[in-house]
Amino acid sequence: MTPRSKFVDQYVDPVGKSVPRIEGKGIVTGQTKYVFDLSFPNMLIGKMLRSPHAHARIISIDTSKAEALEGVKAIITAKDTFQIKFGSNEYFFPHTVDQMALEADKVRYIGDEIAAVAAVDEETAQKALSLIDVQYEVLPGVFEVEEAMKPGAPQIHESQNNIAVILPVNFGNPERVMKEADHVREDKFYCPVAHPSPMEPHVCVGQWETFANKITLWSSSQAPFKCREALAKTLKMDLNDIRVIKMAVGGAFGGKLEMLPMDFAACMLSKKAGGLPVKICLTREEEFTTTRRKHGMIYKIKTGVKKDGTILAITGEVLADGGAYCSYGPTVLAAAIMRIFMVYKLQHFRITGYRVYTNNPISGAMRGFGGVQSGFAIESHMDMLARDIGMDPIEFRLKNITTPNMVTVNKMIISTNGLRECIERASTACGWSDKRGKQKHLKRGIGIGIAADVMGSKMYKAHESAGSIVKVEEDGSVYFFTGAADTGQGSNTALSQIVAHALGVSYSRIKCKAGDTEITPFDTGSFASRVTFISGNAALLGGQDAKLQILEIVAKEHQLNIDDLDIKAENVIFRKDAKVLMSFDKALELCYSFNYGKQIIGRGSYNPKTTPIDFRSGEGNVSGSYSFEAQIAEVEVDTDTGVVKLLELWDAHDIGRAINPQSVESQIEGSLAMGIGYTFYEDLRFKNGRVLNPNFAGYRLPRSIGIPKMNTILIETNDPQGPFGAKGMGEASLLPTSAAIANAVEDAIGIRIKELPITPEKIMKALKDRDDQKN
Amino acid sequence: MNVTLNINKKDHHLDLKGHETLLEVLREHLSLTGTKSSCQESECGACTVMINGKAVLSCITLAANVQGDEITTIEGLAKGDVLHPVQEAFVDHGSVQCGFCIPGMIMSSVSLLEKNPQPTQEEIEYALDGNICRCAGYPKIFEAIRAAGEKMK
Repeated sequence: MTPRSKFVDQYVDPVGKSVPRIEGKGIVTGQTKYVFDLSFPNMLIGKMLRSPHAHARIISIDTSKAEALEGVKAIITAKDTFQIKFGSNEYFFPHTVDQMALEADKVRYIGDEIAAVAAVDEETAQKALSLIDVQYEVLPGVFEVEEAMKPGAPQIHESQNNIAVILPVNFGNPERVMKEADHVREDKFYCPVAHPSPMEPHVCVGQWETFANKITLWSSSQAPFKCREALAKTLKMDLNDIRVIKMAVGGAFGGKLEMLPMDFAACMLSKKAGGLPVKICLTREEEFTTTRRKHGMIYKIKTGVKKDGTILAITGEVLADGGAYCSYGPTVLAAAIMRIFMVYKLQHFRITGYRVYTNNPISGAMRGFGGVQSGFAIESHMDMLARDIGMDPIEFRLKNITTPNMVTVNKMIISTNGLRECIERASTACGWSDKRGKQKHLKRGIGIGIAADVMGSKMYKAHESAGSIVKVEEDGSVYFFTGAADTGQGSNTALSQIVAHALGVSYSRIKCKAGDTEITPFDTGSFASRVTFISGNAALLGGQDAKLQILEIVAKEHQLNIDDLDIKAENVIFRKDAKVLMSFDKALELCYSFNYGKQIIGRGSYNPKTTPIDFRSGEGNVSGSYSFEAQIAEVEVDTDTGVVKLLELWDAHDIGRAINPQSVESQIEGSLAMGIGYTFYEDLRFKNGRVLNPNFAGYRLPRSIGIPKMNTILIETNDPQGPFGAKGMGEASLLPTSAAIANAVEDAIGIRIKELPITPEKIMKALKDRDDQKN
Repeated sequence: MNVTLNINKKDHHLDLKGHETLLEVLREHLSLTGTKSSCQESECGACTVMINGKAVLSCITLAANVQGDEITTIEGLAKGDVLHPVQEAFVDHGSVQCGFCIPGMIMSSVSLLEKNPQPTQEEIEYALDGNICRCAGYPKIFEAIRAAGEKMK
């Protein structure tokens, strides 16, 4: 009898099972290492010198006093660098590549980097910063989008009226059709600046082995390959000169998508210090004031509808406060405008977006990528339209939503689409028909918001491929290499589940190595809810390739046709009757036997079939498939204090198929919490470009108190393109939360809030204004 | 100055300047990096440890002030290979995403459950209010605490 494999007690198909997270035990015992925990002998501490002015010309920088300080090992300014600009929308918007790691001539926000220091300890590095003498010519700044666009406003870059990018998304003839509408309404919404605020601040350790000409950067990154690319470009090195290693990442949420000046500086400082490793940790204040944040947006929207609720035409304008540099701004703006086509069937549409420079900190990617702002605006607006024409908001939405197997006006190809089912399941679960409009006496209300999302998007380069390597060792243990960056969402676990199933073996055989640019295959990174779908397809292909290599040997040895064989549940079987030919372990023995000695190294590469977006119109199929989402909020409002109590949330999400249901639920719950934060209190405030609340006391994140009961409903539509039917789902649940709550507030007390966050002050003011109007 | 700290039932003799926080000593002098540093201004709870069974923020605790006290960090909870019931429940209930808040979250939970193994929802929420989790939105953390409490009764 064949001895039982050490890997298999009882085979369980891992796909669709809530297997525990690979990193779970390491995390709960404190053994898991983050870059923040990293330390090396002789490691130096680096610090960035930042501009105290929002807008100023740099006249001179004198580092001589700092250099003379004992313990200072290296200082760099722009003159030590090639002064090459970097950016994140290089492929589509080359003119928006506008930031230098260390600015040479001008600073454009409070916190702009102009020099960096490495010293033996933090105290010395901090002291050295204070000894660097910078002479500035202070320039007038501009801090409001509408001000910045006026002729004569201070010019921050070379662009006209500080407009970095204009996006005219335009289809049909909305002006003409608007005239045929039975009802037209126009609204203006204000969406504040939020901050990703991962619990682990940005941190890196850079080491430049100068004679070997090799850089290693340990970075808390959600896109290590993108970081490598930006380093290679700005340092004029080859991609294989640079190794970016992602360790455990303490949260990212879009904020860790780009190389920051600190990553560049750690490497340069190390070079200048003769190759000693240099660690740079941002303080919480630096995290809040100098890392990428969500765009503040003004969203103006006008819609014409027929009496029966059919949307005829939409027009509008979106103004996005970009801050000092472009970062991901242009594509965030595009996403804020174009997401609507996934949700509503539209023919006549024109919204023009403006991404505007100001002397505020830099706006970039944050979870939701423009969709949180547009979600609040559009889903609030839709609710108000339904109210205007006396239609139930759910009925109104069902009348206008996209359907399965359709092509949208901007040529997005929607295959599976569970949006109708999401709306119906969520409304049944919450008891919508018994509650909507019927709990005013209790000052209770219920509201809905819907959303859709992409799973990937070709943004910073021509392709968005992911690769995988599946290496089967002689004892049957399996290494799975992926470039995907698990930043806490659980992709290492989900992708390993996919590999195990594809290879036909138990999940416990798999060890995952992720996000190391020297040893794992390329992957664009963790963004746009792309990893399960795109990296998942690469993992699937890698597992299948390894399986075929094993079956080839088995078929040869037994003189069988490879097409008749498969590996399932730990055994090589005949496809036609599932009869077992041999165990997986036996097959492996054969592969590595005297005669064959064949190494099993499967590979996968996946790049979704999409079309590029034409940014002159907004046309393009940006994603391989689309995910859908309906969310309902129930609130109770205290009209004496203005406090809105969120009683319960229902979230129905078309996720294609849940590879790991527990992780999927956890992603949804985390999204809902982030949505609650943006609705009620997350609001990074500024005065003349200075952040007024750069700490957790002033910038409140969701805490355990105030989290309502969350009901998650998973809708499985089995997408034909997804790995085992799965879609991406990391962001969609965050998109409609603010509107669902605002809509519930109106249902409860008849007050409409169009400016987030919804604070007790705003509720009280609106109630008072209403009373004043009545009197 | 010479300072002796009892951490995870072991005495550590340290030569300190005196102004070091407990967080600094744990992470930088003793390489006990399981205790996390996130805001360093007592707002996030990532640095929570237990002192004499009580959840305390190590970023605002002077190391020299806790001589003679019983300090427990996340590294001191498991017994050999056997996880503490709270640690086990956090793994089983999928309460962990990025994990950076989790050591502090677990210390607050253990401190709560040792006194009160069957807390109400409100008691759980109040015990964890000082610990920010940015990823997972709390429901699965609440679940784990209830389950661990059952085992600790």
